[in-house]
Amino acid sequence: MPPAKRDLLPGTLEMMVLKTLTAQPMHGYGVAQHIKRLSKDVLQIEEGSLYPALQRMRQRGWIKAEWGQTPNNQRARYYTITAAGRKQLGEQRSGFAELVEAIGLVMKTN
Amino acid sequence: MRELFTRFFDLFRHDKLETELNDELEFHKTMLERDARAAGSDDAVHAARRQLGNVTSVRERARDAWSFAWLEVLRQDLRYAFRGLRRSPGFTIAAVLTLGLGIGANAAMFGVIDRLMVRTLPYLRHPESVRRVYLQSTFVKLRTSTQMPYTRYLDFKKWTSSFSEFAAFNRVDMVIGVGDEAREEPIMAVSSSYFGFFDATPAVGRFFGPAEDEVPAGAPVVVLSHAYWQSHFGGRNVIGQQLVVLRLSCTIIGVAPPGFTGAGEGAPPALYIPITTYGAFSSQARDYWTRYNWDWTQVLVRLKPGVSATTANADLTNAFIQSRVAARVLHPDFAQVEKYNPHAIAGSMNAAAGPDPGLESRTLVWVAGVALIVLLIACANVANLLLARALRRRREIALRLALGVSRMRLASQALTESLLLALIGCALGVAVAQWGGSVLAKLFVPEAPDFSVVTDWRTLAVAVGAALAAGILMSFAPLLLAGNEDVAKTLKSGVRDGTYMRSRLRSTLLVTQGALSVVLLVGAGLFVRSLNRVHDMHLGYDVRPVIEVNWNRRGVQYSDSEKAVTRQRLLDAALTIPGVEHAAWVSNVVLDGSSTQTLRVRGIDSVSKLGRFDSQTATADYFATMQTRILRGRGIAATDRAGNQRVVVVSEGMAHRIWPAKEPLGECISIVLPTTVNDTTPCATVVGIAEDAVHNPIADEPFRYYMPVDQFPEFGATNLLVRVRGDPARESEHVRRELQKLVPGLSFLTAIPLIDLVDGQRRSWQLGAAMFVGFGLLALIVAAIGLYGVIAYNVAQRMHELGVRVALGAQPENILSLIVSQGVRFALAGVALGTALSLVAARWLQPLLFRQSARDPLVYGTVGATLLVVAVIASAVPALRAAKADPNAALRSD
Repeated sequence: MPPAKRDLLPGTLEMMVLKTLTAQPMHGYGVAQHIKRLSKDVLQIEEGSLYPALQRMRQRGWIKAEWGQTPNNQRARYYTITAAGRKQLGEQRSGFAELVEAIGLVMKTN
Repeated sequence: MRELFTRFFDLFRHDKLETELNDELEFHKTMLERDARAAGSDDAVHAARRQLGNVTSVRERARDAWSFAWLEVLRQDLRYAFRGLRRSPGFTIAAVLTLGLGIGANAAMFGVIDRLMVRTLPYLRHPESVRRVYLQSTFVKLRTSTQMPYTRYLDFKKWTSSFSEFAAFNRVDMVIGVGDEAREEPIMAVSSSYFGFFDATPAVGRFFGPAEDEVPAGAPVVVLSHAYWQSHFGGRNVIGQQLVVLRLSCTIIGVAPPGFTGAGEGAPPALYIPITTYGAFSSQARDYWTRYNWDWTQVLVRLKPGVSATTANADLTNAFIQSRVAARVLHPDFAQVEKYNPHAIAGSMNAAAGPDPGLESRTLVWVAGVALIVLLIACANVANLLLARALRRRREIALRLALGVSRMRLASQALTESLLLALIGCALGVAVAQWGGSVLAKLFVPEAPDFSVVTDWRTLAVAVGAALAAGILMSFAPLLLAGNEDVAKTLKSGVRDGTYMRSRLRSTLLVTQGALSVVLLVGAGLFVRSLNRVHDMHLGYDVRPVIEVNWNRRGVQYSDSEKAVTRQRLLDAALTIPGVEHAAWVSNVVLDGSSTQTLRVRGIDSVSKLGRFDSQTATADYFATMQTRILRGRGIAATDRAGNQRVVVVSEGMAHRIWPAKEPLGECISIVLPTTVNDTTPCATVVGIAEDAVHNPIADEPFRYYMPVDQFPEFGATNLLVRVRGDPARESEHVRRELQKLVPGLSFLTAIPLIDLVDGQRRSWQLGAAMFVGFGLLALIVAAIGLYGVIAYNVAQRMHELGVRVALGAQPENILSLIVSQGVRFALAGVALGTALSLVAARWLQPLLFRQSARDPLVYGTVGATLLVVAVIASAVPALRAAKADPNAALRSD
C-alpha cells in the first residue's frame, strides 16, 4: 500500500519547486521526482499542476527555462531559479513558517 | 508589470510555446514509462499510460497561463466570425457597404457640425467664460446682428458690470501692397485687448498694446498672421518693415503664432491692425467713436466668475437700451427705443450656434439627422440579414447548445460577429467620411481647407463610437434568438418549422426601414422641388455671363467729375476687350444690398407707405448687360446726361403699385436727394417700364427704379458689370488686368463672376436637395435590399409548402401573387407609417423650404408609389424563382 496522496496547500507547490531548483537546474520530471523522493512519496506532483505552475512562474520571472540534454542524451527543458525567484522563495518560506506555527497553535489546544 | 509584459509577448509566440509544451510533456511521459518499466510493474506502466489522458487538460491549463483568458476567447470568436463572414461574401459586402455608408455619413456630418458649432477656437483661454455679443431688435421683424457701432462697444464697457474683459474686432477685405503686388486680402481690425483673450504669444516681435489702439486714431502698426508671413515674406525677419494697407503705410511689429485664427470664422486673416487705426482711415463714418450710424464692430466679452447667463444678458440689454437712448440724441431719425425693443445676448462664440444660426446651419442640423436615420436604416437592415443567417443556422446553434456550449458564449459570438462587421464598416466609413467630409467642408466651411477625418481624433472617435453602437444594436436580434432557443424542439423539427414564429421581429424591422426610407425620400422630394422653384423663378435678368468689377478707391475721395471721367474711361476700355458684349456701371449689384430714397409723387400722400422702393443708379447699357427687358418706353440712354431733363425707369411692379390705374410713362417722380435743401426736389420723368428684377429671392418685392448715374451723381455707381461671351470665370482675371492699368492712384479693381454671388444665396437649398437626395436614394437601395433579403428568405423557407401548392394544382401566377402581396403588405405598412412621420416632421421642415409646402401631396404620392414599385420588384424576383421551381425537388428534400 503506497502512502496516501495528500492535497497541497495553495501556494506551497511553487515554494517547493523554487526550493528544489536552488540545488541545481532541473527538468519538470526531475522536479516532480525530487519532491516525491524527499517527501517519502507523500507528495506526488501531477503534471496537470506542475506544468501550468512552471509556466506561471516563468511569466513572473522567478525561473528561466532552457532546452538541454539529459545524461542519457535526451532533449529536456531545464529550469533555473532567478534572483527574483530566490527572493520570492525567501518571502514564501518565512510566510509559510509563520503559517505553520499559527496552525500548530490552533491545533495544539484542546 | 513585468508579468504583464511576458504575458503580452507570450501571446505572439503562442505556437512556439505550444510545441515546446508538447515536447516537454512527451519527455515527461517517456520518463514515467521508463521508470515504471524499470520497476517492472505492469500496473505502473498502465498508470503512466492512463495519466496520458490528462495531457489535453494540462495543455488547456498551461495555455490559460500564457495568455489572457478573455483575449483567447475573443481570438476564437473573432476567428469564428471571420470564417463566417468569409463563407458568405454577398452578405458581408452588403452589410459592410450599408454600414460603411451610414457610419461615414455620420462621421462627416459630425466633423462639419463640430467645426461650425461646437469646437472652441485654438489658443482661446478659458473658452467656457468667453461669449460673443448678439444684438436683437423687433423693429418691423426680429433681427439678430453681431455688428454694432464702435461707440456701442465703448458703451458696453462703460455700462455693464458682468464682464471682466472686452474686445472689439471686425473682419474686412482690404487691399494690401501697391502696384502689381496689390491684392485684396482679409484683414482683422481688433482692439488691443483682443489678444488678451488668447494664450498666444507672438511667433516674432509683439502684439500691439493699448497705447497703439486709442481713439480717434490708432498707431499705423500691423501684426501679420503666421500663414501670410510664410507665404508672402517666406518667414524672413520683417519686424520694422513697412506695408501699405489700403492707403496707410504701416509698420510690421509682430507675427501671430501658427494656427492662430483669433475669434475668426474662416481662414486666418492676412494681418491684424488696431481697430482704431482702421476706424480712422476707413472714413466710412467720421467720429466713429461717438456716433452710431455705422454697424461694423463685433464684440467679445469674458464673464466674471459666477455670473449667470441671465444676469449677463439682463446687464447687457440694459446697457444696450441706454446706448440706444444715447444714439437717438445724436441721430433723431433712429426708431424710438420702445418700438425698437432692443435685446442683447452674450451667446456662443460660434455664430452658427448663436441665437440666429442662419438657414445653412439649420439645414446642416437637419442633414445630420438624416445621416443618423440612414445609419439606423443600415442597422435595421444588417440586423435583419444577421437574423436571417441566424435562422438558417438555428439547427447548428441548437446542436452546439446540446453539445454544451454556453448561451453566454453563443451570445458573445453573435456580438463579436456584429461588432466585427461594424468595425469593418467603420474603416470603410472613415474613408467615405474623408472624401465626403472634404466635399461637405467645401460647401459649408469653404474657408477651412484642412478638413481631414483621419487626423481628427474627435471625428474618428465618433466614427468608432457609431460603429460600436451599431454593432451592439445589430446583435440584439440574433441574441434574442440564442437566448430562447428550445434545443430539443429545434433538433427534432425540420428546417421549415417555426419560421413564422420568428418573423414578427423581422417584419417590424422591415416596416421600420420602409417608414424611415419614406421620411428621407419625402425630404428629398421637397428639397428638390424647392430647388427647382428657385431655379425656375423668373429673376428678370441673366447673370451667368456677367462679371462684376469693383472699383476700390482705398478710401480716397474723388470729385464727381473725376469719378465720371474714370468711369467712362473704364467703360470704354471694357468694351474694346475682345469677348465683351456689354458693360455698364451700377450702384447695387443683385443680392448685394440695396438702397432706398424718399420719393414724392403727385397725388400720393406717402409713397413709403406703399412699400419699399429700391433705387439703382446705372449707365446706359445696364439693361442690355443684365438682359432685363424693357417692356414699354425706353431704357437709360447715353444722352441722359447732367443738365438734360432728369429721367427714371421703373419696374413693372413699382409702376402698378404707384399708378395702378394710369399709364406711368410720362409721369413724374421727385427723388429726394441727400443734397436737397427745402422742397426743391427736381422732378424725374418716367421714360420706361422694365420687367421686374428679383434681387433677393427670399425677401424682395420687385419695386425698383433706375436712375442715370450722370444725372444723379450723388449716389455713385462703383460696380462695373461686364457681359462676356465666354466663360466668366476664365475671363474675369483677364478683364481685371486690362482695366487695372486705367484706374488712378492706388485704386484697385476686383473682378468676380456674378454667378458666384447668386449661387451663394441658393446654397442652402442646393445642399439640402443634394444631401436629402443622396441619403434618400441610399435609404431606398438599402430598404430594397432588406426587403429582397426577407422575401427571398421566406420563400426559401416555404419551398416545401409552395411545392405542395403546386402539386395540388396552383398556377405560377397564384404563387407569384401570393408572395408579391406579402412584400406589398410590408411596403404599405412602411409607407403608411413613414407618411405619418413625415407629416408630423413637416412643421419643422417648412421654414427651410422655398415656396414649397412641406405637405405636398404630389411628393408624398410619388414617394409612396416608388416604394411600392420597389417592393413589387424586390419580391417578384424570388417569387418568380419559386414559381419556376420543380415541386418534386421541394417535396422530396428534407
